[in-house]
Amino acid sequence: MKVDGYEVREDLLYTREHEWAKIEPNGLVRIGITDYAQKMLHEIVYVSLPEVGAKAEHMKPLGTVESVKVASDVYAPVSGEVVEVNKKLEDAPELVNQDPYGEGWICVIRPSNLEEEKGKLLTPQQYAELLKELLG
Amino acid sequence: MGEFAGFSMPLWYEGIIPEHLAVRNAVGVFDVTHMGRCLVEGKDALPFLNYVTTNNVRRLKDFQVQYTLFCNPSGGIKDDLTICRLSEEKFLLVYNASNREKDFNWLRENSRSFDVQLRDISDEAPMIAVQGPYAVKVLEKALKKDLATVRRFRGLLFKHEGREVLVTRTGYTGEDGFELILFDVPLEEPDPVLQLWNSMLEAGKEFGIKPCGLGARDSLRLEAGMCLYGNDITEETNPIEADLKFVVKLKKGDFIGRDAILKVLEEGIKRKRVGIEMVDKGIPRHGQAIWSDGEEIGFVTSGTYSPILRKGIGMGYVSIEYAKEGQDVYVAMKNRKAKAKVVRWPFYDESRYGWKRTTE
Repeated sequence: MKVDGYEVREDLLYTREHEWAKIEPNGLVRIGITDYAQKMLHEIVYVSLPEVGAKAEHMKPLGTVESVKVASDVYAPVSGEVVEVNKKLEDAPELVNQDPYGEGWICVIRPSNLEEEKGKLLTPQQYAELLKELLG
Repeated sequence: MGEFAGFSMPLWYEGIIPEHLAVRNAVGVFDVTHMGRCLVEGKDALPFLNYVTTNNVRRLKDFQVQYTLFCNPSGGIKDDLTICRLSEEKFLLVYNASNREKDFNWLRENSRSFDVQLRDISDEAPMIAVQGPYAVKVLEKALKKDLATVRRFRGLLFKHEGREVLVTRTGYTGEDGFELILFDVPLEEPDPVLQLWNSMLEAGKEFGIKPCGLGARDSLRLEAGMCLYGNDITEETNPIEADLKFVVKLKKGDFIGRDAILKVLEEGIKRKRVGIEMVDKGIPRHGQAIWSDGEEIGFVTSGTYSPILRKGIGMGYVSIEYAKEGQDVYVAMKNRKAKAKVVRWPFYDESRYGWKRTTE
């Protein structure tokens, strides 16, 4: 669905800090930043990826996305261990702008507490509400 | 749109990077009406201005511009600005938007013993800048005026569509280009400057002109090594450590800050403004510490992404021993120290970019 031109995918969960989380069939969680986030940041020139093996803590900074004007923390939607990072972003950070929900994924986490933390994330409808509030 | 010095201004129209590249490769147009502008007129205009600025105003010929500084009595920089001589007793000053009130008040306070009149024309003399290798061609088309023979830092005053316009070959990008001021156009009735803006976009179409926002304005001036007041120069930095000695003319006579600056020269500077070019990935940001040899040796004052170099660049102050070209340093970014080196500006290859370029 679209909220004022910002895409909100219906098969994802969201955080209040504009990250998305996709619970994959194998139980791992792929994460990235939302269309709203990439549009706010605009020209992304650098993504600081976490290390594979790094510990992710629910809503604590896991990496950074930098545009020309500003650096923004990426918060971990779920706690666990980082098992994969999107190396393509090292040479092509603009993928986050071009395809934030697809090619622009940031990393994959093996969740340690998914059942509980899932409930703390926003549904697509709740995230859409958040956007509507922000956009006034 | 973003807030800058109390004005609502576009950070970009399309994007910082395409606008930046348009200026370096073709031409871009900027609305710079936010800057402060005032007229200084009268018998004592010259001695007054020579007293309140660091550069030598006597060297100016009619329609010649110089870059200069206002200093406070301790030698700290109050603002950087340009002065254009319109006649022996009439000068136009252009200074930073963020210092509109500060500068005009300070000029007024210091003018009491001089026979001068000051007039703030910031809100009745809109200003736009056209910058890039095709700027001359665009202005020729839009203004029907051949400006090719106007030298850098010189200008012309003429009537365009019934209004006086001052065009100077100056800018804040490092490229060839012009700044245009339309006189007697109050902001409440902006039609003449809107028309001028549109005529630039129209005339520039064939050259690939882009309207440029504050984001590109910042990345362009940084690549060129130019200061942004409030970031790279402040009332706590003196012109010597800011590497702006070239606009301080000590032999011209007394001026505010002269004694303090002489003292700085005698004692030697402890730190110096330098260029920083990233070696590791990342963008240096204002306030980040600079390290070398295991010690904190300075701080970043400005940083951005350079679309030409495709890496982070910045400016900052470092202890004088480290202020040499090629010096390895580290910038303390979030969670890591990123490798960088001290470089001279401009950051771009001057044979390929900038107004001194030797290639097409």
